[in-house]
Amino acid sequence: MSIVPKESIEVIAQSIGINNLSSDAALALAPDVEYRVREIMQEAIKCMRHSKRTTLTTDDVDSALSLRNVEPIYGFASGDPLRFKRAVGRKDLFYIDDKEVDLKDVIEAPLPKAPLDTAVVVHWLAIEGVQPAIPENVAMEAIVAPADNKRLEHRKEDALPVDIKLPVKHVLSKELQLYFDKITELTTNRSDSVLFKEALSSLATDSGLHPLVPYFSYFIAEEVTRNLSDLSLLVALMRVVQSLLRNPHIHIEPYLHQLMPSIITCLVAKRLGHRLADDHWELRDFSATLVASICRRFGHVYHNLQTRVTKTLLNAFLDPTKAMTQHYGAIQGLSALGANVVRLLILPNLEPYLKLLEPEMLLEKQKNEVKRNEAWRVYGALMCAAGNCVYERLKMLPGLLSRPNRQIWRANSGLDLTISNKRKPSNSDLLGHQPPLKKLATAAPAAVSIPTKKDISAAVQAGGAATISGQLPSRREWPTGGDGSRALTVAWKEEVDAGDLLCSLFELFGEGILSFIQPPELSLFL
Amino acid sequence: MDEEEIDKAVMAYLRKKGFKEAERVLQEEQNRVSSVGSRSDPEIAKQILTFAESGDGPLRYHEGYSKLRTWSYSSLDLYKDELLRVLYPVFIHCFMDLVAKGYVQEARRFFNCFRDDHEMMHKRDLQKFEGILTPSHLEEMEFACALRQSKVNIKLCQYSYELLLQYLQKTQSLTMLGIINEHINFKVSPGHPSSISDDADAVSLIGSSQDIAKQVNQKEVHWGLLEDSIEERFEKHGGLLSDSEKVDGENKEADGEDKKRPVEGNKQGASAKKMKKDKVVGAVGKNVRSETTTVSVAPRVKPELKLPVMPPDEEQSILEDLRNRVQISSLALPSVSFYTFINTHNGLNCSAVSHDGALVAGGFSDSSLKVWDMSKIGQQAGSINTQGENEPSLNGHVLGSDERKQPYTLFQGHAGPVYAASFSPRGDYILSSSSDATIRLWSNKLNANLVCYKGHNYPVWDVQFSPVGHYFASSSHDRTARIWSMDRIQPLRIMAGHLSDVDCVQWHPNCNYIATGSSDKTVRLWDVHSGECVRIFIGHRSMVLSLAMSPDGRYMASGDEDGSIMMWDLSTGRCITPLVGHTSCVWSLAFSCEGTLLASGSADCTVKLWDVTASTKISKTEESRSGSGSRLRSLKTLPTKSTPVYNLRFSRRNLLFATGALSKGV
Repeated sequence: MSIVPKESIEVIAQSIGINNLSSDAALALAPDVEYRVREIMQEAIKCMRHSKRTTLTTDDVDSALSLRNVEPIYGFASGDPLRFKRAVGRKDLFYIDDKEVDLKDVIEAPLPKAPLDTAVVVHWLAIEGVQPAIPENVAMEAIVAPADNKRLEHRKEDALPVDIKLPVKHVLSKELQLYFDKITELTTNRSDSVLFKEALSSLATDSGLHPLVPYFSYFIAEEVTRNLSDLSLLVALMRVVQSLLRNPHIHIEPYLHQLMPSIITCLVAKRLGHRLADDHWELRDFSATLVASICRRFGHVYHNLQTRVTKTLLNAFLDPTKAMTQHYGAIQGLSALGANVVRLLILPNLEPYLKLLEPEMLLEKQKNEVKRNEAWRVYGALMCAAGNCVYERLKMLPGLLSRPNRQIWRANSGLDLTISNKRKPSNSDLLGHQPPLKKLATAAPAAVSIPTKKDISAAVQAGGAATISGQLPSRREWPTGGDGSRALTVAWKEEVDAGDLLCSLFELFGEGILSFIQPPELSLFL
Repeated sequence: MDEEEIDKAVMAYLRKKGFKEAERVLQEEQNRVSSVGSRSDPEIAKQILTFAESGDGPLRYHEGYSKLRTWSYSSLDLYKDELLRVLYPVFIHCFMDLVAKGYVQEARRFFNCFRDDHEMMHKRDLQKFEGILTPSHLEEMEFACALRQSKVNIKLCQYSYELLLQYLQKTQSLTMLGIINEHINFKVSPGHPSSISDDADAVSLIGSSQDIAKQVNQKEVHWGLLEDSIEERFEKHGGLLSDSEKVDGENKEADGEDKKRPVEGNKQGASAKKMKKDKVVGAVGKNVRSETTTVSVAPRVKPELKLPVMPPDEEQSILEDLRNRVQISSLALPSVSFYTFINTHNGLNCSAVSHDGALVAGGFSDSSLKVWDMSKIGQQAGSINTQGENEPSLNGHVLGSDERKQPYTLFQGHAGPVYAASFSPRGDYILSSSSDATIRLWSNKLNANLVCYKGHNYPVWDVQFSPVGHYFASSSHDRTARIWSMDRIQPLRIMAGHLSDVDCVQWHPNCNYIATGSSDKTVRLWDVHSGECVRIFIGHRSMVLSLAMSPDGRYMASGDEDGSIMMWDLSTGRCITPLVGHTSCVWSLAFSCEGTLLASGSADCTVKLWDVTASTKISKTEESRSGSGSRLRSLKTLPTKSTPVYNLRFSRRNLLFATGALSKGV
């Protein structure tokens, strides 16, 4: 009938040494025990209320007991609320988890950190009825600006130990809104107009555009992800990026994290534009220069910016499953980052990569015309990158070509020449059989066209004299075991001689590479 | 069976049951019957006899009550509310009857069977009754005793009353009839049935007889402000200015660069700046006046206590503050400066802020009292307090983020948790009350304990300085409130009358009265001079935790454990309107200086601002017409970050100070 059963009374009686408590007595005591417990709890709740708390603690019970002149129960006082555990198998039975503690452990334990002292901090809960948006107050409104970088405000003291997002209300003037609408409309619809060019120059020079930067970066990111097939739009967007980067009044750093993915997408995406005729190569080259310029400008602010970019690009470059277009973008991106990057990252991988690339370029192995064309593009890009690298190298170390190297060079030259001869026929063969390809190749954009053109023209010139395609399989046996390849694999090392590098590159690319070398040095070689 | 025998049996039965009324009626009936000479129906007589013989079977209570319950619930919707009101007292008395007769088990079963019906309205009462298991408990519990001795008033409309009587007669449920007869006093009113919310009496079953409350509430309360108060003087002063200068309602914040307001500022050639300032002052004064005129100005009263003399510099500073007071209303909400106690480790029991916000005190459960001087720490409080700045919201952000280790003054002396602290009006003394049954007076200048006031026998829950200083009131677990003066160690008055702990105490602005809130769910108003209870306010459903008096002295607000706030009219003793909105204990209430706004701080981590003018005015006109509901307007809810609001206080310039301890668990 009462909450306290008779049995409990008997158990309690036994625990204090009364063994012969009659069951009648227990029965009579039980309801009274319950009443007293309730009484104590009622007083305890009063104490709790006056301590301005809403959770009952053992202290409250103790003070309630002392109100009734009862000795408090020792051993339960603790700053933390008691942890009750459910007894296994019983739904309604709980007990306090009371672990046995070895006294030795307690004594030997290091002193706990002294608790922080109480302090008072002041803030404005409201100013004339309006709650200011400060970390101490509850964040009330959602953030309006779509692309605001939300930085967490970390408070050093544990006063208000919550990380707080600042709700920033972004107010745009009417003029700025109009401007933004106009620019976005131009970008999306009329990117070939004269007006767009003026818009770009305005973006690049006008001051006071800073409030729009988050909106622009958001706009660009959105449009790029949505319109990967619309090449002209992508080009326009990248030009907007370029203009924004150029604007000296804009503080674009905080928004880079949003812009970079879009740019890199334009660089290494598998497909850009939906038509074959779309000249996505140009877009990739353009994006590559953008990436490079960003890295140059902000590399010192964000130390991991360039490493992250190169890592992404290198991954794309080294992954054989990726499409040729992606490889091309990666190579362009890397080479745009400078000769050092090329030397460190591309050259060591050059030889194995070319091995993979080679079959793609051959008519026999790769029947798909488009893919072959792409492979040639990649080849051209690679050669360009490597050539530029060597060129820089040679410029840095003028006249350092040592004698022994030249000896090696000479020693190898005969072989090299034969190789180049071997290559030439292959090219001529290609051209001979595939006039359209030639057309395409010669129409290639300026950045890439120089090496390829030379290559091809050389091939054409030498075309007649050379033996024909029967020898092509032998190309697989390019001099891989020689000094050249060794020089390449250790290309990342600083001390590798430019001459060695050139030799090996010559081995790989043939005469084409020579166009990167200035006449004086060239004469040295020859 | 002999007729006389039956009569005797019936009489014996009635006497045994204590149905005096019924006995009397029966006797009259008998006399009439005998005079008429007609015979009573033997059938009925037999029935009555069987009832008498079957004794007080506990089952009859159960059955009788459950029948009455089903009947009331199935009655017409229009009258249902009223009839249901009858159920609760019947339920409680059935239960107590059963316990008293020793049918403890049956009582428990009965209680558990029907308690759900009343859970919503009377949760706390039920929790108390739940524990009653033996007749001796009944005798011990005062609440139960009081209930058994007194009658409950229930208002019923004519028709409901007739319905009830018909039912009781028809079913011949004598047990129920007996209980209703014995413990319920019906007040039958002609006309339509009233809705339940209108009737405060229906809500609470108060141990003390309502008649006493009624009687007490007849007494006169002079709620007018003190004559010749500084505000009055200021008001006249301001009014004088505004007469010559045209006041166009537009009041801006007084600019605070030069404080020396020229007395001859109303000259025609005064500079624009001066004019502006004067307008503000004028507007303030005008508003105060209009305020008082709308509220049917009560005659000024003379102080019944001998008031301490205000030093001239103090008077000067008050005048200064009054002049720079920001006008707040439902349209212009106040600024709130929040003092957050951090790293309290659940030990902060109370807090207090001095009138200018410069000093903040906290009472802790480790018996210590700590006082922070905010003006010494950076410019925080400085910007608030220095005379030069009266619009502190300018650099609010800087203040909040300023976080340095703050040294505080530690006052040790109590031997138990400190439950309340109060600054003297000038901020030079602090009073603290503790569970060690003492009150201690501390000096801020000397940083020392001056006096220890011993008088209470149990923990002192609350202590409050009077608005003029020198006197203070305390309330305690020993069910008394006491009035003290600083220079005597014995209390001047002891106010006894509450039936349970006196949890909070508050001075009336004119210092002639104090109000006390108690765990017996009532608020009482006491005359300080005579020590008599002059008002009993009944209506809260749980323990009253906080009180506030409107500055004009006419209204009082009280907040309880459930989160409801009630506005009372002191002169009539009636609840004007309940303010519903908080979900947890209302720890603190404060009126703005003009009395236009009420701020409430609660354990639900919010500060709410209520429009008092709207609530009081509307209710006066509509009270008679429609049922209440939440008429009053909650203007604004200001949530804190998991910081329950312990204390609120408006500065004289109408800046609201709030305090609370950051609690991570909430």
